[in-house]
Amino acid sequence: MSVEPFFVWLEASPLGVFMKDLPATFATVEAVHLMALAVLGGTVFATDLRLMNVILRDVPSNTVSEQSYKWFKGALIVLLITGFMMLAGVATKCYGNPYYWTKMYALAAGIVFAMAIKQPLLKQDHATLKPATRYLVALASISIWFLVAASGRWIGFSG
Amino acid sequence: MLNKLLLDFAQWMDAQPWSSSLHESFYLFNWLETTHVMTLMLSLGMLVVIDLRMLGWIMPTVPASKIADRLFVPMIIGFSIMVITGVWLFTAIPIRYTQSIWFRIKLILLFAAFINAVLFHRHLKASAGSWDTAPKPPKRTRTAAALSLSLWAGVVICGRFIAYDWYDCGKDGNSAFINWAAGCIAELPAE
Repeated sequence: MSVEPFFVWLEASPLGVFMKDLPATFATVEAVHLMALAVLGGTVFATDLRLMNVILRDVPSNTVSEQSYKWFKGALIVLLITGFMMLAGVATKCYGNPYYWTKMYALAAGIVFAMAIKQPLLKQDHATLKPATRYLVALASISIWFLVAASGRWIGFSG
Repeated sequence: MLNKLLLDFAQWMDAQPWSSSLHESFYLFNWLETTHVMTLMLSLGMLVVIDLRMLGWIMPTVPASKIADRLFVPMIIGFSIMVITGVWLFTAIPIRYTQSIWFRIKLILLFAAFINAVLFHRHLKASAGSWDTAPKPPKRTRTAAALSLSLWAGVVICGRFIAYDWYDCGKDGNSAFINWAAGCIAELPAE
């Protein structure tokens, strides 16, 4: 079954119409999306670079990751809401855009990785984790969010 | 007068082969822009964590000056990449950016954010001893952090708006104020 009808419906929905109504609507939602990206990036870099022993070496790694995770979740929610709003404005274009699908698969992987793998692991005392484990988890996390953000930017270049 | 000088400079730059070749290079230009946008995650990301600590909203058990000090270097690395890619992007389309109202507001906000950061840094050095370990810093510190976040939000908004042609010089319906603020002298060639 194709999901294309959903994209057609979404673009014609009141939300899709709202996003196209004024040129500044889309641009403003984009800007909020970018601000939330900065917050998400800050928490990801703080947590992951700490896990890699690059920054904040004299602050307990558990403290950094616990405190960052709250803001990570908040930023992710804002990104998902604003992202969905932007999708509504250009849904049929996105449907045929390979970068859009790359981003969606990477995003799904990123959310599963962050919530089902990384977060349970980081609930333990980080001192008991192997250095290689900490390093690889951090590297995977940075790489996946890089892919999500970069493929997201490229949706706009190829439309 | 100043607008004329800026435009002359932009027109000179626009005539250089390295300007046109960057503008015409699909991959180099778009990867520069991608790098510029994505480095937000490091530069503004670190700044947000520092400011949130100054607001008392993150890592309250860690001294504020420690967060500011330890995240300063990664933040500066991020901002350096932003400046390099930003200037480089400017060289591709100098005439349009020079006469863009959003670009101009962005530069003013950047300057204001820089001044705020310098004053804040001084304030931190002079007084942090008395509130460094407080989970919630004093009001003056929180105000400076809120101002910093607001200014940077403005920078992001203007940065994103530069891409839109709503007020490009020569567009029908621009008010006299827009033409003045954007410093419109030359109309833009059609892309």
